[in-house]
Amino acid sequence: MFSQRELERYKRQMILFGEEGQERLKKAHIFIAGAGGLGSPVSIYLAVAGVGTITIVDMDVVDQSNLNRQILHFGRDIGRKKTASAEEKLRELNPDITVNAIDAKIEESNAAKLIGNADGIVDAMDNYPTRYLLNDVAIAKAIPLFHGGIRGFYGQATTIIPGTTPCLKCIFPKAPPKEVFPVVGVTPGIIGTIQANEVIKYLTGSGKLLTNRLFIWDGMEAHAEELCVERNPACEACSGMTTTKTARKKK
Amino acid sequence: MTVKIRFFARFRELLGTDIVTDIPPGTMFTSLITTIARKNPAGYAAIFDENGAFHEFVILMKNGKRIDIADAAKTAIADGDEIAVFPPVAGG
Repeated sequence: MFSQRELERYKRQMILFGEEGQERLKKAHIFIAGAGGLGSPVSIYLAVAGVGTITIVDMDVVDQSNLNRQILHFGRDIGRKKTASAEEKLRELNPDITVNAIDAKIEESNAAKLIGNADGIVDAMDNYPTRYLLNDVAIAKAIPLFHGGIRGFYGQATTIIPGTTPCLKCIFPKAPPKEVFPVVGVTPGIIGTIQANEVIKYLTGSGKLLTNRLFIWDGMEAHAEELCVERNPACEACSGMTTTKTARKKK
Repeated sequence: MTVKIRFFARFRELLGTDIVTDIPPGTMFTSLITTIARKNPAGYAAIFDENGAFHEFVILMKNGKRIDIADAAKTAIADGDEIAVFPPVAGG
């Protein structure tokens, strides 16, 4: 059941997916790994769309050098935990949702517990080792993983439905070396918004998901394209999973 | 034979993209990319290690199908093939 305020707030999007779709958003729990460049637009758009429970995890404090892209955080937040800053902004953006902001480093020992029984995992991380942990939990619990990555003016995104689509390790079996990556804020803005769009489509059962496709954005050329990606039968992460089409019907 | 090579992300910055080139029959995947990448030392170093092997994280595709790095040296390129070479983008 929605309050009058919620009905009014969501009126324009309920034209798209009805009260039933909005109810699905409200009942959903989305786990966002990272409150940085990608996590900012992802969490903002999922909060204002009315995703009922958002868990957002980060271990860092806000730094001046984050502010060119991490739009959840303001100058006044420098030195604060990103989770505290994120929680405050998201609650203000939508007081009708629940926000769990957890100050933690995602590790092998805690990843499954942190993710719990979320309906979707958003990869808003800045490194592959942690992404692979999210991928492992997504596979173990059959939870969709919404991947995004950026560098400079370039970005990529794909939606992973474990057992149906390639997993992150099928597509990227080896991590690239760590680096301090260049980035202009619009790039995670574009890719994070695509990830949030995928989550909303998945939860409401709308449209065609970005599955079996790697979306590639070239901001220098203002050009987007996609590459077909396939499961790797020898994938060390997901080859044991049998093909299933049930994940999306769970909702 | 004419083939097209497409680089993405950082590789594109260093080497350009949509490179159409004539190659002799029997050219292999690795030798083709080696020749193209040598035009820019930074581009070469981004894709290949000091032994001339692909960095293990590099993704190779031919006509939309994945090519394993281990198979690239013996994967022949045919007329009209479209080659894609890209790195995982890691930032967030």
